[in-house]
Amino acid sequence: MLTIAIGKGRTQEGALPLLARAGIRMSDDELNSRRLALTDETGQYRFIFVKPADVPVYVEHGIADCGVVGRDVLLETEADLLLPLDLGIARCSIVVAAVDTDVMTRAAGMLRVATKYSRIASTHFGARGIPVEIIQLSGSVELAPALGLADLIVDLVETGRTLRENGLSVVEVIGESSGRLVVNRASYQLKAEEVARLVNALKLVGQD
Amino acid sequence: MRYYIGAEARLRRRVEDVAMSVFQGWNYEEVITPSVDYYDLFEQGMGQREAQRGFRFTDNDGRLLALRPDVTSSVARMAATLLADRPRPLRFCYAAPVFRQQPQSHAEWRRENTQLGCELIGVGGKGADLEVLRVASEILSSLKLQSRYCITINNVEIFNGVAAQMGLPAPAREQLRRLIDTREAGELERFLTDYGNGVGQAFLQPTQLTGKREVIQAARDKITNERSLAALASLDDIWTELEALGLADSFEIDLGDVSSLDYYTGLALKVFIHGAGTSVGRGGRYDGLTGSFGRAEPAIGFVLNLDALTEVLARSETEK
Repeated sequence: MLTIAIGKGRTQEGALPLLARAGIRMSDDELNSRRLALTDETGQYRFIFVKPADVPVYVEHGIADCGVVGRDVLLETEADLLLPLDLGIARCSIVVAAVDTDVMTRAAGMLRVATKYSRIASTHFGARGIPVEIIQLSGSVELAPALGLADLIVDLVETGRTLRENGLSVVEVIGESSGRLVVNRASYQLKAEEVARLVNALKLVGQD
Repeated sequence: MRYYIGAEARLRRRVEDVAMSVFQGWNYEEVITPSVDYYDLFEQGMGQREAQRGFRFTDNDGRLLALRPDVTSSVARMAATLLADRPRPLRFCYAAPVFRQQPQSHAEWRRENTQLGCELIGVGGKGADLEVLRVASEILSSLKLQSRYCITINNVEIFNGVAAQMGLPAPAREQLRRLIDTREAGELERFLTDYGNGVGQAFLQPTQLTGKREVIQAARDKITNERSLAALASLDDIWTELEALGLADSFEIDLGDVSSLDYYTGLALKVFIHGAGTSVGRGGRYDGLTGSFGRAEPAIGFVLNLDALTEVLARSETEK
């Protein structure tokens, strides 16, 4: 049996229909329950639903053999995992946004950047030699510039609506993110056939 | 940081004893190397990137020291200098703690790990490769881990040959290596379309990189350069021997194991056990290493992680 960790929220919403198309289904009773660990109808897969940022943790320790999680989370955690498949779900961009889009070219000695993604942000600005102070927040990042906490934010954008409604616009796109199938290195060898079966099943429905 | 108390300490000692007695059964002599040595040694032995994971500090005269991040460097230097005149081959084994910061993987969080390792120096070829694979598998079987362990084997020259044929500059070569290592199928396909001219196709299907002998056959159909084909042939030879010894069930070929290309020069191996989320051992041929200490000769070795083995065995004992 393979254990698969799924990030709750947007990733889960994208992953369950994809899994269903690949013939991996959970009963409605199970899905409507509040249990955090479910088994699929064939008994081949056990699913655990955890916070997206915890998916790489479960998979890296081998508690889960596989996981479904956004590339944004993988970049932020720098987990040592295998990434055999881009599932194309929960697509979004990782962007730098600000009230004034010329904020970066105005000669500021140092920019303050509010974000949930401190590693992505510091790598991005560090690579360009732009001095920044990273302010780590855990949510409602779009508020920070309006309230004077930061000059810029680094955040995920799906439609851009939240940005617009908070008076922000995109300064630059750091990268694209989408849901990934990730696999533990040991499981990839020790449960090679089962993992290959899952990868191939999801690859087929992903191309639809 | 971890304590072993009572039964756990006894189990750990037993695992160490089993490994050391298997090593000694194959005529590997125990060696004890210094815990603290000049940092230069490890940079020469492991390459700068790996050596920097060591804990470094200065001596009174300002020279940089390190708490040993590996044992192989010290053994290689010893073979090239102190034992330069001793008849070959040399066989050495050890059980020794190594110290590293910034672990590659968050799951390997320990700063201190005890390595059970061996080095076979001064002899190359199939016989030596096979010997260390047999030693590794005998240790795991003696620990009653039959059917729970898997040793993956690869030859890094397969990748090197393909990369050379593609004529990749260093950053692109590193990118290709990383995409294969993490099995990023989609990105790999795009990369090979951009650079490949059809050359890298052997690496295109990540799920087909691991398996038994059929993996070699599939790769042969897609690889055209001599260097890779020679490496595939030597892997094939080893597989034939493993089959003849009845060991093929415990081994897998993994052409995607390209994690330490700048270190290994031929056969590379990794050890996995059910119940451990990361590999519990690794090794390979490093013919380039002793040369950096002044006496170039073939060498091969592997290490098993005593702490990881103890943890797996402790857990299966409590489950009984």
